[in-house]
Amino acid sequence: MIDNRPLSPHLSIHKKVLTAVFSITHRMTGIGLSVGSILISVWFLLISLGPEYFFYFEMISQNILFKLVLLIWTIGIFYHLFNGCRKLYWSFGIGMDLKTVYTSGYVVIVLTVLSTVLVWLIL
Amino acid sequence: MVQFTLPSNSKITEGIKHKIKEPNESPKKLVIYRWDPEDNKNPRLDTYEIDQSKCGPMVLDALMKIKNELDPSLTFRRSCREGVCGSCAMNIDGVNTLACLKSMSDVKKDIRIYPLPHMKVVKDLVPDLSKAYEQLASIKPWLERKNTNNGVAKNNGEEKTQSPEDREKLDGKWECVLCFCCTTSCPSYWWNGDEYLGPAVLLQAARWVSDSRDSERKERLKAINDSLKLYRCHSIMNCTRSCPKGLNPAKEIAGLKKAIVTEL
Repeated sequence: MIDNRPLSPHLSIHKKVLTAVFSITHRMTGIGLSVGSILISVWFLLISLGPEYFFYFEMISQNILFKLVLLIWTIGIFYHLFNGCRKLYWSFGIGMDLKTVYTSGYVVIVLTVLSTVLVWLIL
Repeated sequence: MVQFTLPSNSKITEGIKHKIKEPNESPKKLVIYRWDPEDNKNPRLDTYEIDQSKCGPMVLDALMKIKNELDPSLTFRRSCREGVCGSCAMNIDGVNTLACLKSMSDVKKDIRIYPLPHMKVVKDLVPDLSKAYEQLASIKPWLERKNTNNGVAKNNGEEKTQSPEDREKLDGKWECVLCFCCTTSCPSYWWNGDEYLGPAVLLQAARWVSDSRDSERKERLKAINDSLKLYRCHSIMNCTRSCPKGLNPAKEIAGLKKAIVTEL
């Protein structure tokens, strides 16, 4: 028999349920932070190479776009940290009923926003 | 393999709009995925209009009404119409559930109905579940009793008793009706379904692992201790979100992972 059966639609029709949104955001922030760690090493490199190279960094850091990236970076760090804690205690099977999962998800968002605001106020 | 878009033979086209003739007191529109293996066309979305005042309250009632009165070619699985057989699993309003347990009044807009996501379609709302059943068979969903510690031969005719406490360990697991709503809501299963067992099958694995009358707990755990079979579960929790019986596959999978770490 020739298999001409179609594949039923998935991503395009499934509701964007929060459980999945929290999870994919965790992944994306994780990937973002990995890329970010490379950028940090580049920054260290510029420092070690001396003032004439570090000058380039100073120049870029004046850009408003740089601030924006930094802001997203901060959000990413905090989201990944707090949601990571959530995933960690899930490994013990704790707090996995649906209601708690949703509540802890909202708590992660609130903590992320608060921490980001706090960091940007202090620095 | 992760493929976000549908293959070309699966792209959905616009379908037929069936109109109701008589005056309609409380109209409700249903948009339903259709695919017929006999005409060589892509799947389409047909629209049906029904009178809710002349129809039962559940989505399954509407499907039956459409099949009986508007379009006998509409194909779907159904049997018990009360959520114990697991036949009428489909994607309604974006979430996998049993059509017989989903009230039409829960959906404010038009009711959009698709087959279970990321499955081969046999016809209309009927997905091919043979791969999932194969995976279920692979975890040996039956009681196994090898020679026990005190040397009693298996199946010696004696009753296999279980204390109420041990029986309680099966609660939240035995109630599964194998509708595969959870498995087909799991993005991880969408991308790795040929290797990853998926939440429904892993929930059954947990059910047999937890049975005090079964002697093969360790062997069962060893059999699923595999980076693809079990550890493609990343606790996305869509399974628990989707289960029409209110079970918690994600939690049971976490229990399996914990048992593997502590007991093997």
